[in-house]
Amino acid sequence: MEQLTSSLAPPRASPKSNVASSSQQVAGSVAKRLSNELMTLMMSSSPGISAFPKHDGNLFEWVGTIEGPSETIYAGLTFKISISFPSNYPYVAPTIKFDTPCYHPNVDITGGAICLDILQDKWSAVYSVQTILLSLQSLLGEPNNASPLNPDAASLWSTPTAFKTQLMKHYRPVSESS
Amino acid sequence: MRKNFYLIENEINEHMARYEVTKSPEVLKDLVSCLMEWYRAWAPPEELGATVFSSYGLNFHTRLFSALPPSFAIAFKELCACLLGPPEANPEDEEQQVRPKWDASVQSTIWKNFEVLGIIDRYESIIASVGYEYIEEHVLKTCAGEWGTPVLEELRVWMSEKVVPWMLHVYARGASSPEEAKTMLQGVGSRFDFHINKTLCDLRTKEIFDIIIDFPDSMGALYDLRDCLQRVDQRASLVSSLRKSNRKRLLHPGADTRLILQQYVATIKCLRIIDPPGVLLFKVADPIRRYLRERPDTIRSIVANLVGDDESGDSLVDENEPIQPLQQPELEDYTDPNWEPDPIDAGPEFRTNKPSDVISTLVSIYDSKDLFVKELQVLLAQRLLAITNDNSDRVERERRNVEILKIRFGEAALQVCEVMLKDMTDSKRIDGHVQSQKASIIHPTIISRHFWPALESSDLVMPGQFNTLQSAYAHEFTVFKPDKKLKWLPHLGTVQLEIQLEDRTLEVDVPPLEAAFIELFSQKPIWILDDLIEAVGPVDRSASLKALSTWVDHGVLIEDPEFTFNLLEKADMAGSAAARERDPSRLAATVMDNPPLLSVQQQQAEQMRVYWKFIEGMLTNIGALPLDRIQTMLKFAPGYDRTIEQLGGFMEAARREGLVVVRDGIWRLNK
Repeated sequence: MEQLTSSLAPPRASPKSNVASSSQQVAGSVAKRLSNELMTLMMSSSPGISAFPKHDGNLFEWVGTIEGPSETIYAGLTFKISISFPSNYPYVAPTIKFDTPCYHPNVDITGGAICLDILQDKWSAVYSVQTILLSLQSLLGEPNNASPLNPDAASLWSTPTAFKTQLMKHYRPVSESS
Repeated sequence: MRKNFYLIENEINEHMARYEVTKSPEVLKDLVSCLMEWYRAWAPPEELGATVFSSYGLNFHTRLFSALPPSFAIAFKELCACLLGPPEANPEDEEQQVRPKWDASVQSTIWKNFEVLGIIDRYESIIASVGYEYIEEHVLKTCAGEWGTPVLEELRVWMSEKVVPWMLHVYARGASSPEEAKTMLQGVGSRFDFHINKTLCDLRTKEIFDIIIDFPDSMGALYDLRDCLQRVDQRASLVSSLRKSNRKRLLHPGADTRLILQQYVATIKCLRIIDPPGVLLFKVADPIRRYLRERPDTIRSIVANLVGDDESGDSLVDENEPIQPLQQPELEDYTDPNWEPDPIDAGPEFRTNKPSDVISTLVSIYDSKDLFVKELQVLLAQRLLAITNDNSDRVERERRNVEILKIRFGEAALQVCEVMLKDMTDSKRIDGHVQSQKASIIHPTIISRHFWPALESSDLVMPGQFNTLQSAYAHEFTVFKPDKKLKWLPHLGTVQLEIQLEDRTLEVDVPPLEAAFIELFSQKPIWILDDLIEAVGPVDRSASLKALSTWVDHGVLIEDPEFTFNLLEKADMAGSAAARERDPSRLAATVMDNPPLLSVQQQQAEQMRVYWKFIEGMLTNIGALPLDRIQTMLKFAPGYDRTIEQLGGFMEAARREGLVVVRDGIWRLNK
């Protein structure tokens, strides 16, 4: 009975059950948004960034590729990331982490977690996969040393030679086979 | 007798030697009568009784057969052939004419002799083969290439006149009454009749391709073939023969698509006569359909035929055939009391298509009729855009066409065409209104962009007075229809020009680009090609050259030096150039050819470019993938509808371009 009333109740009164009752419809619109984003991303052909769904039939898990921007310490390196979209995307930011170990002040070297404001409290529904990828690419060249996830990297940032040595020690090139 | 048999042997040898020299059956006949005399001479008297007589006969036969040399069989065959039917006299070939003619009584004596000597029983297969060969020869001689009328009945008559009397001697000897002879002949007669069928069938099978070409003048041959196939089980060989000649003579790049379609339609009609259930047709048609599917211009040809656009005149569609909706393959209705199982040689994938009309069959070459509808739209758009004010009644003709096609393809499929037609009439009305407000010399056709096939875009900017005219018209249009915006496609259409030069006035109909160029020459008389192109916006260089050469052909411009064009204010300034032959057909051609629409094929190439982006994206991110994964991943691309075969072909093309590499069926980007 409790369930019945809650599902009949106006959406704002019980947001939780609203998600459950109309999840089908929401999933449909999210999938539509994601496939639109995919189309835009594919047609935009921005250099050095790319992403694609990992499996057919599932639009919520993507793999991305970011090439280190030229004239930065990451130039010539390619990083794989995984993007996981929540079911209430784009109201909530996707979860993104580096699959390739990335020695970077704002990236957790073991887990690949990223400290980037637009992926956390600054997230807005107007952002898209493309803007995220572009932000990540520029983050590589311009880290935010004020709030480091990797304090060692943050302290080494000012000495590029030592930083590069550490970076290459952790970096593993992307293997060709999936 | 044993002692004296060498006499006979001598006799035989002597005769055979003579036969070897002369090759005349006459000699053999003499030999047979000679042998007969020996036989009679040694025969024991009747009084000794049947036992003695028969043992004598057996003895004589044994010795005789052992004495006969191997060449006797050949000679005997020759003799039989003579008895059956001597070849017609060939006056130029006198010395070959050694076969004598015997009248009936002599013939019957010879046969009697044969029988007494036991030769008939021993050489029966030879006698039969003589009959077969005789039939074959006659059939080939009289029926090859004669397809107009059924010949099977004629052949039967011929057999009863020519072959049956001979058969009477061989197979009905000793028959006391005609009835008895008839029963004796029954078995062998049906064997010979079968042979006629088989020979005719073989012949027609060999000729089937040409018979189909000759259709409908070859109905006779088709009826024959139908009757023959009912007796002779040659369906498989007919199919393989027709498939082979189709492959060799029809399905190759040298054949015109229109011709292939015509032959296909003829094949359909012919095989329906031979085999109404359509099993043969199904087997033969399959390679043709598959081939047609691969041809890029098949749809275009069919559609052109549908709307009666075929200049050649021989349409695929019979005008008398009633127009009917396309038929979908229907499921078999097993509750139908008249249901019959599929014929025995039908393959598992055989689908009975009920005798449907030709267009349905052609359309069913492709999996969906959408392709046809798209191509129809392109074609209709082309035809509508070609209509000028002078022949606006052609819109009505197109409307009629569309109505006919609606019956076939259904109302919904042709809705877009409806809009296109409506645009045409609306354009006229709007034009009428705009002209009443402010007279203008341009009469645009206003089309609804979303309903027309993609038009080739161009960055052509009309110079001078054209531009002024356009913006004046556009202004009036905006006043009339405030919610709509007019976007010009200045490169389409035709311009009627009157060019006033110093000594002459020209009136011409030209495409807009030509008009734009000549307009520029009113500013200054000498232009360099690159400046001209710049002045009208970025247009194709080769198209510009073509446009300019039109004016050179008209004698208005002269190119001197290369890529520099001078205006000829006076005709005699041209000198040698004016003397240049003006080819009127060339002038006419420049006005005619402007296919501004992207064909379906080009549109598909455009779509494939989008899909390539997706393929690139997935291969970048996921790594290497097998073809089937790529195919399923492409479901993410909106509107992807290619088959895996098409994708394979596309990937192969990409590989040739060096974009991707493949190893063990795994595709990866070429880095």
